[in-house]
Amino acid sequence: MKLTRRNFLAWAGLGAVGAVACEGFGIRRGELDIQSPVRLPEDLVRGSDNWYASLCRTCPSCEGIVVRVMEGRAKKIQGNPLYPTNQGKTHARCEAGLQALYHPDRIATPMRRSGPRGSDEFVPIKWQPDGIDSLRNALRANGSSSVMITEPLRGHLGLLVERFASAIGGEHLGFEAIDNNTLRAAVKNVFQQDTLPDFDFDNSRFILSFGADFLSTWVSPTRYNRGYGEFRQGEGRDRGMFYQIDSRFSMTAANADKWLPVRPGWEGHLALSLAQVIVSENLQARGVDVDTLVGGDSGIQALNNFRPETVAPLAGLTPEMTGGDPVEFLKNLARSFASNRPSIAIGGGSAGAQSNGLFNLEAIYALNFLVGSVGGKGGVRFNPGSPWDDVPASSKVGSLEDWTRVAEQIRSGKTKLLLLHGADPVHGLPDSVRLRDAIAQANDLFVVSFSPFIDDTSVMADLILPDRVSLEDWGDDIAEPGPGYQVVGMQQPVVNPLGDLDPLSFPDVLLTMAQELGKESQLPWANFKAMLREGSDALFAMNRGSIEASSADEFWNNLLRRGGWWDERRTGPAGVNAPDGLFRTIAGKATGPDFAGIGMGSDSFYLAPFAHNTLLDGYNGHLPWLQAAPDPLSTVTWQTWVELNDVTAKRMGVKEGDILRIESSKDSIRAVAYPTPAAPLDVISVPFGQGRKHGSDYATDRPGRESSNVMDILETTLVKGTGSLAWAGTRVRVSKTGESVSISKLEGNARAVEIGLTPAEKIIKTIAPENA
Amino acid sequence: MVTKRIEHKWGMVVDLDRCTGCQACVVACQAENNIPLNSKAYFQQRRAYEWIRIERYWEGEFPNVKAKFIPILCQHCENAPCEPVCPVFATYHNDEGMNVQIYNRCIGTRYCSVNCPYTVRFFNFWEPVWPKRLRNQLNPDVTIRTRGIMEKCTFCVQRLRRGEVNIERRGLEPLTGERIPAADRKLNYRQMKEGNHLPACVQACPTNALNFADQYDETGPVKKHFDEANEQIETRHRGGHVDEAHTRVYRLFEEIGTKPNVIYLKKVEPFPLEKA
Amino acid sequence: MPSRKMLPLMIAGGVVTVIMGFVVVVLLISWFSNPPFGLGNAPAQPIAFPHTVHVAENNIQCEFCHRNVTKGAAATVPAVETCLFCHKDIDGGTVTAQAEIDKVRTAFETDTPINWERVHRLPDHVRFIHEAHIRYFTDETIPVKYGINGEEITQSLDVAQTCTICHGDVGNKTVVQPKIGQSLKMGTCVDCHRQNSVSTDCTICHK
Repeated sequence: MKLTRRNFLAWAGLGAVGAVACEGFGIRRGELDIQSPVRLPEDLVRGSDNWYASLCRTCPSCEGIVVRVMEGRAKKIQGNPLYPTNQGKTHARCEAGLQALYHPDRIATPMRRSGPRGSDEFVPIKWQPDGIDSLRNALRANGSSSVMITEPLRGHLGLLVERFASAIGGEHLGFEAIDNNTLRAAVKNVFQQDTLPDFDFDNSRFILSFGADFLSTWVSPTRYNRGYGEFRQGEGRDRGMFYQIDSRFSMTAANADKWLPVRPGWEGHLALSLAQVIVSENLQARGVDVDTLVGGDSGIQALNNFRPETVAPLAGLTPEMTGGDPVEFLKNLARSFASNRPSIAIGGGSAGAQSNGLFNLEAIYALNFLVGSVGGKGGVRFNPGSPWDDVPASSKVGSLEDWTRVAEQIRSGKTKLLLLHGADPVHGLPDSVRLRDAIAQANDLFVVSFSPFIDDTSVMADLILPDRVSLEDWGDDIAEPGPGYQVVGMQQPVVNPLGDLDPLSFPDVLLTMAQELGKESQLPWANFKAMLREGSDALFAMNRGSIEASSADEFWNNLLRRGGWWDERRTGPAGVNAPDGLFRTIAGKATGPDFAGIGMGSDSFYLAPFAHNTLLDGYNGHLPWLQAAPDPLSTVTWQTWVELNDVTAKRMGVKEGDILRIESSKDSIRAVAYPTPAAPLDVISVPFGQGRKHGSDYATDRPGRESSNVMDILETTLVKGTGSLAWAGTRVRVSKTGESVSISKLEGNARAVEIGLTPAEKIIKTIAPENA
Repeated sequence: MVTKRIEHKWGMVVDLDRCTGCQACVVACQAENNIPLNSKAYFQQRRAYEWIRIERYWEGEFPNVKAKFIPILCQHCENAPCEPVCPVFATYHNDEGMNVQIYNRCIGTRYCSVNCPYTVRFFNFWEPVWPKRLRNQLNPDVTIRTRGIMEKCTFCVQRLRRGEVNIERRGLEPLTGERIPAADRKLNYRQMKEGNHLPACVQACPTNALNFADQYDETGPVKKHFDEANEQIETRHRGGHVDEAHTRVYRLFEEIGTKPNVIYLKKVEPFPLEKA
Repeated sequence: MPSRKMLPLMIAGGVVTVIMGFVVVVLLISWFSNPPFGLGNAPAQPIAFPHTVHVAENNIQCEFCHRNVTKGAAATVPAVETCLFCHKDIDGGTVTAQAEIDKVRTAFETDTPINWERVHRLPDHVRFIHEAHIRYFTDETIPVKYGINGEEITQSLDVAQTCTICHGDVGNKTVVQPKIGQSLKMGTCVDCHRQNSVSTDCTICHK
């Protein structure tokens, strides 16, 4: 038949009628199904929701959560109002635990590598016998030359993994791309504490923060945010004052009353100059023994090398930055820090990630002694150890030195078995460690991954044995940093894995292995739940804390119902004595930061990488909500961007959306330019976390995504004294690639956001503190 | 009588001095309300769905620079510009101070979104899609909006309704499950907090910058601010003078007279930038 | 006799009429076979479950099986386990009844859920809470209530009587079907809410 206009219309009409006839106004098939489950527990009311307490594992600080479960499906995560560290509040990251649970790219079954290593070619196998057998054989043959790399572990899982590693004669290392080892070392040297301290922002009147992005990513942001809210507008107190000294304008700096841009790596000198002013002007808190603290005359002399007059030019302070004479500014800052007590000085992030990072942090934390904020209200509060003798309260994390050694061991064939859980060191270590190549080229190496997702490290595995995700599994945590007293969090499975998934719990697999290898003496438990239950019984026997129960069963049930146990009376030390001559010792260590590689020049910059607000170091890269959550400052989503000063950008002819090449002496990456008015002229910043090579589409750097990993270009400078990566110690050269893309950002999505259309002061109104 | 619904008037107070711009509210809202996954293309086309969003405003130039954050959501205006322009009455104002969008009535003219001064209405340009497994997370209490209709913040009305049924009708304390005497059955602030009946953003906000309650509820955190704000409106109405410099309460775009049920508390700024 | 010229037109007209008729019939069937119109279509169920035997003869309460009806939004169908409470021991009186009971037992033994056909479907954008409605109609403190068709109810009802207001006398039916002649459209809901002076705010029912 010839297709004319007329009969085309006729056919189209008939087609439409047919479609209507078929579809009708009927109801879609699926909507008319209603299923009788086979069994239904009495306490399960279908069609209404239950809330179960558990723990969030999308950030290392591990918040207490409650999960809304309906008909066997987890629907919503919220903060557990009873849990002492976060008190019912959550960070954006916690919500996304649901997406890990129902992630489309979860590995469904155990898999064995079928192509060359790293090719992402796997064939599914069965747990029994293939998966378990291969694991047992590998452990039997090479257990003593094995390395197990996990996320930072505390609590019973930490104990289990440590014992397992020592039982098979291998080594266990915790991995964190942005580790807290330098902070831990500083806390140890200054306060002689093994666990991270808590900061009582609620009662503090003055916060002086050096480089710590504590409202966004640093250590325990949910807890700090809650305290910060009280610090600003809490009932029955005056509004606190907050200064941020930071080489980057971070989200935390944006919330500070005053941001002081400092030349990267000179935070410690600034801290000592404040100490010098406080000591020379006698501003210390009453009862502080300055003489012992500083170390007598030699200490005073050492401190006098750090007069504001000397330090201000070193730290790159200009009159424009400080609104007048920088020396006078520093003196005034020291005066108000000392007089607005209780005041608190904290440091971390980029301040600790320099070659002189340990010196910086020690100098910063030592300030707290001068203002009497150690152990007191509104100051640094210490945490007690674990309630159980053998269970670690603090996570042990490897330093860059450790990772370089591990890579070397793999290369030399000394390590024959690599076990991976919850860690992606290939993505999270600088390229120059060459871990990827080491694993890819080691012929005798057998790699087992327990990750439920493909990432840059698990893609290299010979055997993948998918673990359950946290909402399906048991666990516990000893809160670190705790709220100043003992807190144990409990994690219970709130749902079962979906039918098409076949994961096995990682601790259960380890316990099974321990039995099969004849190591029951060290690991006698049948499964992880039994181990936790034993811990619960031990807590019950202590007969103290938040749960009153008449039997161990009742205690266990209450423990699960409340999501944890805590004892407000078992606090950390109320105060600690400063080591004699603390300031003299610290001043003696003072050095400036080392920047290897590219020198100064008009197109070269300090590179200030930072942990992404939601993706952190890339741990959460595969979760779409977190990829789509705009960065607070640039509002960029889904991409790797580079923040550079807009004046500098104009000078270089760079516009927003231009793709820049960022080059260090090691390598180069591409990133989308985001000129901002807030970046210091000689500093550019790039977030960590993007640019995975393998795995979920949400996380990887597929073409057009403009996602790259800033780790690739970092110099392997070490922090002196801790061996950690000085990730803020790289200088880079920036050049245009000539390409340009439309930047994926929230800014401009709504008319009101567009600057200029409505003046900002009409939208965000402000008030002077004396009128508030 | 049981049938008589207890009258509420909901209101939100946003304390800008507490807000840190951390995005917790944004993700909480997306988890609660079945908001489509915002892909990169959505942002590039300036069509991202964020019922609540954090706007960031720059001020000044380095080194005297500031960034200020403000959470913006549907203001639930008493005189809502979006309502009179809807030809099918798909959006209206209810007795509880909420601006309501009825999805199955909406025909997608987008007049309301054009008329909204706050840009908080979102049009579904695409059929929402989720990977099959992620659909398990979808909240059964919230409809999935199809292509071609408007959606917006609801003050998490599904949570309020759940709370009302539990407390006003069934008379059960949210945490303990104890029975409340019939005379005291009124959803109050404490019960909303304990029973997870506050809007998702408020429940998540780690600094307590977002506060939500009945505007008449003495025990809630919003009453005193709404009293102050309403007094200001009346003073202005009478032609009186409101001392702007000494009050923290303000409404967004006060001058256009929309009378929102969301009010903001000014950010306290000890060191304002000097205006050039 | 129409002219030859008219013939194609007539054929075309006939075809159009047939098609239109077909469309109208399809529309009518699909529209009115929906439960809201009260034509009482009874879908075929995987297991022939006679409510008569269970309710009328053996006096089992509605909420014994539909146990959520007094607790939550959805009435829910019972778990297979619930059937086995009795049918572990009780056998059918006839061969056909026994065959149906065997289906239930097999389902329990083989751990397979039973896929029933829904008789009443609630659209995705509507929130209906069974529990709230039962609580209202069984409340003795309210002297006068009005049923779904405006009938005055002065005596206090029990749960089963409340169910019949909308669902009809299911207990006396061998096959479940919507109450014949009973409209269950939005207007029905609104009318009933108005008469009982319950809020008719959209957000009460629409989500």
